[in-house]
Amino acid sequence: MARDDRNPTLLALTSSALLLPIYQGASADAPPEFTEVGVRYSRYKEDDILGRNAFGGGSERYKIDVAQFRMLAPVADDWSFALDVAWEDMSGASPWFVGEVAGQSPKVIMSGASIEDTRTEVSGTTRYYYDRGNAGLNLTYSDEDDYESKAIALDGSLNSEDGMTTYSAAISTADDHIDPTQGSVPTNTLSATKDVSSAWVGVTRIVSQRALVRFGVSYTYREGFLTDPYKFKDRRPDERKEWTLGTGYRHFFEEQNAALHIDYRYFSDDWDIESHTVDVAWYQNFGQDTVVTPFIRYYTQSEAEFFSNLADEEARYFADDYRLSAFGAFSYGVRLSHDLGNWSVNLDAERYRTDGSWGVYNGEVSPGLVDFWRYGVGLNYVFR
Amino acid sequence: MITLKYLTGLLFVVVLCGCETVQPWERGILAKEEMQWQPNVMEAQFRYQVYASKEASSGGTGAAGGGCGCN
Repeated sequence: MARDDRNPTLLALTSSALLLPIYQGASADAPPEFTEVGVRYSRYKEDDILGRNAFGGGSERYKIDVAQFRMLAPVADDWSFALDVAWEDMSGASPWFVGEVAGQSPKVIMSGASIEDTRTEVSGTTRYYYDRGNAGLNLTYSDEDDYESKAIALDGSLNSEDGMTTYSAAISTADDHIDPTQGSVPTNTLSATKDVSSAWVGVTRIVSQRALVRFGVSYTYREGFLTDPYKFKDRRPDERKEWTLGTGYRHFFEEQNAALHIDYRYFSDDWDIESHTVDVAWYQNFGQDTVVTPFIRYYTQSEAEFFSNLADEEARYFADDYRLSAFGAFSYGVRLSHDLGNWSVNLDAERYRTDGSWGVYNGEVSPGLVDFWRYGVGLNYVFR
Repeated sequence: MITLKYLTGLLFVVVLCGCETVQPWERGILAKEEMQWQPNVMEAQFRYQVYASKEASSGGTGAAGGGCGCN
């Protein structure tokens, strides 16, 4: 969609209480004026694990190719429908377990280049727009060789009478089934289930003619088989309670013709994990049709209470999964968006790097920490 | 850094009390695409999925959705 081809006054009048999107996906208090479709290709590629961190020398890790399709269409006067479809092709190797030779630091034993999987996800959202807000119903189905997930979500928002504040809420539940692929490595289960229930409430506030702020809190409850089926000796609790506190700020600088995005999230759970995430992005307009967006993200987390590089056979719970260790991560990248009439093209690239010493929490450093690249190209069309 | 969460709560109170009234016809800048919380939905969908599958934390911008075997 061209950014500045709409009459600003008309836009302001027709979107008075407007905007204040409640979260990703929702955007305004009026249905889209035109049908929009988009396609996108992304690649995710992890760096090889270094020889000093793995038995048997360095080896390739994981990569994913992703194709996405999205359509958003107005329906009647007050409704919209969005369809999202994603296809993923995954392959490579991941850490199987961590071992140690006397006198040396712990190293990872990789699974071998044994992972081959595909995933298809279909998600449909219908949304109703009323005078002072909107409400949506979302159904999502995801299927891959060893995993199936069915989820339903409801969300709604209500603007204050003066349109300065929007109150939002969302709830969701998911029913997941795990059937690990047999043959490459021994698995921790043959078949299992897990359920995820989640709730979120948020408040968005207009700060000035050029600034918005929002706050939100969420609670997520996971129950069932939360162990990684492919990681040797992995034994996790069958319950997890998570809380987040998040805030975001948007400020437009007229002189620079640019928008500043700042987001922060605090996360905590009953596995003793805490994390902080800070995202900063600068949306720089060049003329009417081009936006260049450099961004940077910092993430740090503490380790789970049952994380250890080396297995404690006596412990009830154990995980040597690097994702549950203490670490810090910096990522940075750039997005480019360019409009050509009814078309728009998007390019983006991101570099993500981790290190045990970059975090603010103490803990054992996992030899399995991952660095990766992510690239993408997308094309959108508006039927106007 | 732990104090960030308390600062967030304090900021919440300050902001709610201290905003200037912006009339509907003064909200054109706020409606710009680059002022939205998530301008590129498809890119964000995959990016958040990647973060959630490589870190122990997820969520915070809405209710959690469906899962995948990636985490």
